[in-house]
Amino acid sequence: MDTVVQSLLNGALMGCVYALITLGLSLIFGVMNVVNFAHGDFVMLSMYFAFFIGSMWGVDAVFTPAITFPLLFIVGVVAYYAIIDGTLRQKYVTQIAVTVGLMTFLRAITQLMWKAQPRALPYSLIQGSIHIAGYNIMLSRLISAVVSILAIGGVSLFLSKTWPGRAIRAASDDLDAASLVGVNYRWTYALAFGLGSALTAIAGGLLMTFQQVDPTMGVRFGLLSWCVLALAGLGSIPGLLISGIIVGAAESLSMALWDPRARSLIVYLIFILVLWVRPRGLFGRK
Amino acid sequence: MSEILRVEGLHAGYGKVPVLRDVSFHVNEGEVVAILGPNGAGKTTLLKTISGLIHPTAGKILFDGQEIGGWPPHRVTKAGIAHVPEGGRLFPNMSVRENLLMGAYGNRESLRTGVLEEVYEMFPVLRERHRQMARTLSGGEKQMLAIGRGLASRPRFLMLDEPSLGLAPKLVDGIYERLQALRGHGLTVLLVEQNIHYALELADRCYVLENGRIVLEGTGEELARSEHIKKHYLGL
Ligand SMILES: Nc1ncnc2c1ncn2[C@@H]1O[C@H](COP(=O)(O)OP(=O)(O)O)[C@@H](O)[C@H]1O
Ligand SMILES: [Mg+2]
Repeated sequence: MDTVVQSLLNGALMGCVYALITLGLSLIFGVMNVVNFAHGDFVMLSMYFAFFIGSMWGVDAVFTPAITFPLLFIVGVVAYYAIIDGTLRQKYVTQIAVTVGLMTFLRAITQLMWKAQPRALPYSLIQGSIHIAGYNIMLSRLISAVVSILAIGGVSLFLSKTWPGRAIRAASDDLDAASLVGVNYRWTYALAFGLGSALTAIAGGLLMTFQQVDPTMGVRFGLLSWCVLALAGLGSIPGLLISGIIVGAAESLSMALWDPRARSLIVYLIFILVLWVRPRGLFGRK
Repeated sequence: MSEILRVEGLHAGYGKVPVLRDVSFHVNEGEVVAILGPNGAGKTTLLKTISGLIHPTAGKILFDGQEIGGWPPHRVTKAGIAHVPEGGRLFPNMSVRENLLMGAYGNRESLRTGVLEEVYEMFPVLRERHRQMARTLSGGEKQMLAIGRGLASRPRFLMLDEPSLGLAPKLVDGIYERLQALRGHGLTVLLVEQNIHYALELADRCYVLENGRIVLEGTGEELARSEHIKKHYLGL
């Protein structure tokens, strides 16, 4: 019983980070209907950037988003203008080919730069753990979860209270109507793509406080974020957080009770099951 | 009277399918001009071409003497044209107030001059519902919000695409009363309608569009007396 609760706790904390990663994906998918296969690889890239900055300048991983957030924003905007923009009015297959290409490119680049073996930062400020009611909670995971929730809240405020945020929501509701009130769709798409990518920088920095990174991680995070998005559906940010927690807990539980190698299998099963039983997700509209 | 919009020899369509053929007309400042015509004539296509959602294949669109044909819609809006599209096309997952705010997106200056207050005075039901999601509104309320959103940028030129579409006659009366009031304030309006009785009454001048061509023009009274209109539109 103790192991069950312990692993649910760990997984739930991890799930908050998954929710943050998925928020980035849902911004991109919700606004421009682009199925971004490279999203998980942006997480991987962010983790490498955090590793690079952390090992070069001795900056703690948890602070690296101060640099990687704007960096990934720029990467996202450039990727949008360079490859996504031209495919928007083309067939779905073309879009898929382009984002799969981006995914392959990012993976190849990181493999060239950092080789295939896993990399990790030697230490983080937020180490150690606290004990509550007999359970052990790693400080780094707790702080990751809290920062993720704060970041999600920040994006939520941005979307509801600022003009660029409202423009993103309007464009995802009705692109023509948004253009008619003065929204420049290109600019708004670039912003959504940039912001969606930049959110992975926060997640990447947090993950590097307790995880290692290798070039194949992108696939795992890609699958995870698509699974969380399918479970949540489009349009509800609290729903996204709850779904992230569910997926994180399920993944963690399967590792504790069954086999660590089963984690992706469980995630994939949830993904398939949701698409089959409830395609609009638990909290999605329509 | 000075001219605010002039369309000359306009051709436009979807892909290779032509819809508008050699359309020419003009609207003077302060006028209400109606474009009438049967379903499929190309009325919606005409408004979409003016607001930039469709590129013209030939011809000119002059707004205030400036060629705006082919401009992207966000630029056209900022020049002072508001287009209330067919069916309203609200932002369903945004509140009534946010829809109105978005209406002012291209000219946020207007918010400082109390434009929301004016829209709420014109359509009090929108004030009551200002926190509700637009998707939860009734058909009549949706149309009011669509018009309100169009007015929120304080346009110099308002284009309305079938504001009576799908509404019960009583609601249409209400909408047209507000449009009469707007006209009293000197707003220039280009109105597209199939509901010809309302249009003939409101408009200073009308053009009749059939099969993508303008086939008739005249004042509301002149058209009401025309044999063509009587026979094909009024069923007399
Ligand atoms: N998105 C579209 N793609 C292709 N053809 C269209 C499209 N929209 C309208 N049409 C065609 O263009 C013609 C004019 O349509 P429209 O401008 O909507 O007419 P109206 O508003 O006068 O009813 C019609 O024959 C219609 O079938
Ligand atoms: Mg129409």
